[in-house]
Amino acid sequence: MTSTRPAVEARPAPRGENLLEIRGLRTHFFTQDGTVKAVDGVSLEIKYGQTLGVVGESGCGKSITALSVMRLIERPGRTVAGEVLLDGRNLLDLTDEDMSEVRGNAISMVFQEPMTSLNPVFTCGDQIAEAVALHKNVSRGEAWDRAVEMLQHVGIADAERRAKSYPHQLSGGMRQRVMIAMALSTNPELLIADEPTTALDVTIQAQILELMKSLREQNKMAIMLITHDLGVVAEMADEVAVMYAGKVVERADVDTVYEQPHHPYTQGLLASIPRLGEKRDRLEVIRGVVPNPLNLPAGCLFKRRCPFAMPICDNPPPLRDVTAGITPVGASRHLSRCWLTPSGGLPEVGVEPTPEAAAESAAALTVE
Amino acid sequence: MSEGSVVAAALEAPVAIVPSDDDVLISVRNVVKYFDIKGGLLGTSSVGAVRAVDGVSFDVRRGETLGLVGESGCGKTTLGKVILRLLPPTSGEVVFKGERIFDVPTAAERKAGKKSFQASNAKMKTIRRDLQVVFQDPYASLNPRMSVGEIIGEGPMVHGLSNKTKREALVRELLGKVGLNQSHIHRYPHEFSGGQRQRIGIARALAVNPDFIVCDEPVSALDVSIQSQVLNLLDDLQKEFGLTYLFIAHNLAVVEHISDRVGVMYLGKLVELADVDELYTNPRHPYTVALLSAIPNPNPRVRKKRLVLKGDIPSPAAPPSGCRFHTRCWLRERLGNPERCAAEEPEFRDVAPGHQSACHFAEEMTNMADEVAAAIGLADQARLASTSAVVAPPAPVSPPTPPTAPPA
Repeated sequence: MTSTRPAVEARPAPRGENLLEIRGLRTHFFTQDGTVKAVDGVSLEIKYGQTLGVVGESGCGKSITALSVMRLIERPGRTVAGEVLLDGRNLLDLTDEDMSEVRGNAISMVFQEPMTSLNPVFTCGDQIAEAVALHKNVSRGEAWDRAVEMLQHVGIADAERRAKSYPHQLSGGMRQRVMIAMALSTNPELLIADEPTTALDVTIQAQILELMKSLREQNKMAIMLITHDLGVVAEMADEVAVMYAGKVVERADVDTVYEQPHHPYTQGLLASIPRLGEKRDRLEVIRGVVPNPLNLPAGCLFKRRCPFAMPICDNPPPLRDVTAGITPVGASRHLSRCWLTPSGGLPEVGVEPTPEAAAESAAALTVE
Repeated sequence: MSEGSVVAAALEAPVAIVPSDDDVLISVRNVVKYFDIKGGLLGTSSVGAVRAVDGVSFDVRRGETLGLVGESGCGKTTLGKVILRLLPPTSGEVVFKGERIFDVPTAAERKAGKKSFQASNAKMKTIRRDLQVVFQDPYASLNPRMSVGEIIGEGPMVHGLSNKTKREALVRELLGKVGLNQSHIHRYPHEFSGGQRQRIGIARALAVNPDFIVCDEPVSALDVSIQSQVLNLLDDLQKEFGLTYLFIAHNLAVVEHISDRVGVMYLGKLVELADVDELYTNPRHPYTVALLSAIPNPNPRVRKKRLVLKGDIPSPAAPPSGCRFHTRCWLRERLGNPERCAAEEPEFRDVAPGHQSACHFAEEMTNMADEVAAAIGLADQARLASTSAVVAPPAPVSPPTPPTAPPA
């Protein structure tokens, strides 16, 4: 091939609207001190060719969700419930052989630390060629050619020579490009990027974000972008899921989340970041700290830090539709895991939840 | 120094200080720090040098916060350490409150007969009471074998507060000031979260009642919701104790929030220095524009015409000739790659009152104001502000009065 742009293979016609559907995923870690419910009832969808941003602070379960999708959870962790449907096929039911066929082929992953994710004793070209040879029926020479082509594709100058470099000979930005080249070498339908730019400097981060945008365009792939940086999500994502203590607390399209956040945690996060060009005397703060995963509060997990906390918050709130007005066709609904009314007011319930609300919250607790 | 006066000084209500040009607290002149690269047969001969900091000069005024931004490897942390003399300087001069901390001549000056000066260790001990530091990593910067009381009390003890009861009273007072529970005085660092540890680090710096604190990336290791708590704390303490900060960080939005003036570093050099509003709205160095353009804006509707810099930061062991930024500079490309950029080192000079820049073509940038505004997103922010379709960023969370008492 002479073109720097790899041919996009014909994809099977989509069976539904969603490429990936996660339903009621629960991944727990059984430690000596107790069970850590790292992911506890997460449901997410990613549409074909769309980018879902998963935001949250450290320990909220965003990386464990991604690893659960890839079935890379190791002991003492285990996915105890839920479904991960890729094109309607439940990945959690697949045999290990079938799963390794999916991994790296249909779904690829880019990790935060490009240095620790690359093998230091093989050249970059060899590592990409290995990924190609594993998943495509090609000769070694063809795999190597594909590796060089991919390096060109991700904007590495002098790719022929760089393919023969070892990871330590490259800068952080270059290594992350190599990781992306490797992840895209098999032309996946879904790229899971776990904090892909967190370890990079801002000017290099800008390069990688622009690269991911153009590759997303060319390869028509969906991206699950995991990050704590609200700026990166605003720039990249179509849809946003905000996670807190193992649960999705808010989900909507990117404009809605940033302009009309419903959940007090999302509101607090957006108000607490300093923004360029908007100088304020004081930053808003979310008081307190993330709850200890071994000792989560009963009811709403955010209630101890929430400025709106009220008696009903002792009951776990369900993820409810709070869509304001009419949802445009094709756009997703606005979901929030909070007892506040859709307009953000206090619910008209007293100390006890209404029977319907109690039933709804009980339903939210059961595994789908 | 008597014991009583330390406590009194630490707890004394300070006077608000208005910064003025004549009120320079610390003055940094031509500070250079090279790290030798060892090589050769025995690994002992010097085969080159990493030019971490290469001739940086600025003043910090009393009561202000000077922000220092730059990417990794630009020398900002090394500069902070050299100012505190935690690292020996290669050459340069630092004067703190009219007293020289060091004045090391360059090779040429030494030939001309200039003598090297370093404040004595005894002198440094007294200077360091006024010169404190808060480090980036709240996990590595606290001794795991010392209790919180010992960590915070160590400074006052070294500086003469030997009475244990008075020391404990001071530590408890400080714990309250930084928002920690006073009963945690006997706990150990591992019992605290990252944000709480950073508060301990801040209390330790405050314990000797300093005038000047170097904050080296104090919030970069913290989660977003904790970051704002620590930034507000630093702000409050500055007002309460009349502190002066040198705030080193790579996050431009954080620096904009906390600083009065901001300096931008690139490869060991200060390339721009101005008042914070001036720097963020009217940058006069192409690197500053590129940095501002690179940051993703946490508003999905703001579109920037992003200037993406090519390539990586060159090695500080072999910096490019002339202007160190010329290998990646978009402005040089726009101007048809003038020879001057690669040949001649630009002077760090005044381009407007109180605004210094080290670009040969800083004056030319005034003609590109529209382009620069588009690149850093200001143009789009202005457009959004003028259209009514856009909702303002979320209002601060203000809780309504709950109908019944909130749960305990």
